[in-house]
Amino acid sequence: MHIDYRLERPLALHACFDVEGFTVLLGQSGEGKTLLLRAIAGLLPAQGEPFGGLPPQDRAVGYLPQGYALFPHLRAWENVAFSLPRNAQRRQQAQDLLARVHLTKEADRYPGMLSGGQQQRVALARALARRPQLLLLDEPTSALDASTRDEVMAELIAEVHASGLPALAVSHDPHMAALADRVVVMSGHSIAQQGTPDRVLENPANAAVARLLGHRNVFQGKIIGHLDEAVTLLQWSAVEPLTLRLPYHPRLAPGQDVEWMLAPGALRMSGGKPSADTNLIQAQVELRLNLGELGQLALRCRAGRLWWTASAQALRLPHCALGSELEVELPGEAITCWPAPGAA
Amino acid sequence: MDASLRMSSEATPGRLDEIRLSRVPVYIGALTVLVIAGPFIGLVFATAWSHFGFAAGDGHAIGVSLGYSLIALLLIVALGTPLAWWLARHSFPGKWLVEAFILLALLTPPLALGILLAALYGPYGAVGSVVKHTGIHLTNSPVAFVLAQFYSALPYYVLTARAAFEGVPRDLEQIALTLGQSPWQTFLRVSLPLSRLGLAAGIALAWVRALGEFGVVLIVAYYPQGIPVKLWVNLQDIGLQAVYPLLWVFFLVAMPLPLLLGLASRRQRLL
Repeated sequence: MHIDYRLERPLALHACFDVEGFTVLLGQSGEGKTLLLRAIAGLLPAQGEPFGGLPPQDRAVGYLPQGYALFPHLRAWENVAFSLPRNAQRRQQAQDLLARVHLTKEADRYPGMLSGGQQQRVALARALARRPQLLLLDEPTSALDASTRDEVMAELIAEVHASGLPALAVSHDPHMAALADRVVVMSGHSIAQQGTPDRVLENPANAAVARLLGHRNVFQGKIIGHLDEAVTLLQWSAVEPLTLRLPYHPRLAPGQDVEWMLAPGALRMSGGKPSADTNLIQAQVELRLNLGELGQLALRCRAGRLWWTASAQALRLPHCALGSELEVELPGEAITCWPAPGAA
Repeated sequence: MDASLRMSSEATPGRLDEIRLSRVPVYIGALTVLVIAGPFIGLVFATAWSHFGFAAGDGHAIGVSLGYSLIALLLIVALGTPLAWWLARHSFPGKWLVEAFILLALLTPPLALGILLAALYGPYGAVGSVVKHTGIHLTNSPVAFVLAQFYSALPYYVLTARAAFEGVPRDLEQIALTLGQSPWQTFLRVSLPLSRLGLAAGIALAWVRALGEFGVVLIVAYYPQGIPVKLWVNLQDIGLQAVYPLLWVFFLVAMPLPLLLGLASRRQRLL
């Protein structure tokens, strides 16, 4: 489904993108993500398609706001049945929808007696009862415990896929991007990039997008110059005298301020001999993150901090102990450069 | 584990001592309640239970009060609810003026309000002199009686109902819209049930105000005599002993509903 919405107030915003399957719209707080959802639901004056100009009650959307907004005076099944016509099958239809989200036993409970994940599923069943053409989810993970978040999201996404409805979830959580069928990144009140998670994660359109996607090795720098149209020299601002060598970027002019990113997983332990476009850097282990199979090391190099993702095994080696000095390789071909925003 | 449990339970009294609340407000509070309750307890002893009997016309006064208060209450709810909703959910230029008029009606002493009504609806008043030609008199008539009660009780209902509507989360109303409900259905199915306790409290408050209104009624509707005016007449004509039976009736008909709803809204549930 193609979305094209334009808002003037309370902030100017233009969003034009496609929703396929479970689509996640990533953006920082203040980008107007919630406003966009409310505009699509018809709760905010805006121009756009689909549903342009219709009052909210005539728009076939299922809107799940933050906190889900279940009716506190109605039982779970009555919440689900809210949009169903009053007839003999009403209760049964609500029960069927609750069964779809695995909440048959909770039908007679009031929302206050349900957990965050259960409330979300009741809200989803309630939205589905309205037979929407599009689901809108505002920060679906915000009211969930960290421990059950992945479980609940897996359930939710499975249900969205089963329903065959396009769903648009807005979030500032990079974690959500990995779960999506499609990622749309909003930056500066417009759409900066969209595509499959793989493609967007691999090739962020700019440093702001890269940071939103959760990339950590994003830094500022300056182009020093080019060598023989083969190598471009980049100075890492935080580590002043250090010059990095990367493959030739003819479009970057000497003296230009840039933002650059090292692809995740590209950092290597130094093998000894430097090659033409490999950069060796001295660093100190500042922090170790144990994440099970994989771990991360924060490496301090003067004012800069590099994040290195490695297997738990590798992290157990003695030279990865906290405070130890080591030498790492930054492969030049794994460095992406973008002109710094605001640079002439 | 046992040891740690015991330790914490031993530590508790010491901590409670530190945060023990001062007893002074409790003593003063108890004394204040006694002062408030005094007259009501006094009524039980003052009533001559062995000769409990009504004065002539008391029955009629009860009928007048109950019947016309009910009509006034219906009018108040019918006209006050949209006004309360308007104030709770809309912002518009000059809203402060609307609020000021409601507060003015609330704050004006009953006697002064009665004089204002007499000036407007009396036989020589701007409205009264016109309506007189249709044969309807807006003073000393059932219409005047209802009018007086309406004026004195409406502001209480509007302010309470407005607060009740403002307490309904807006996102719930908006969700109801996205679920295909019209604004009217949303009002009936979401706003009304969620504000019911506050609205009930407003109705109860308006009921007591209307039923007990004396000052305004005295000026614009001395007749037909309701309970308050009849109490005053009995007091003047017969004496203190003659008012107690009617006073008991007043308490019995006026108070149970507001007392119940007042207690319920403090606890956010009925019963």
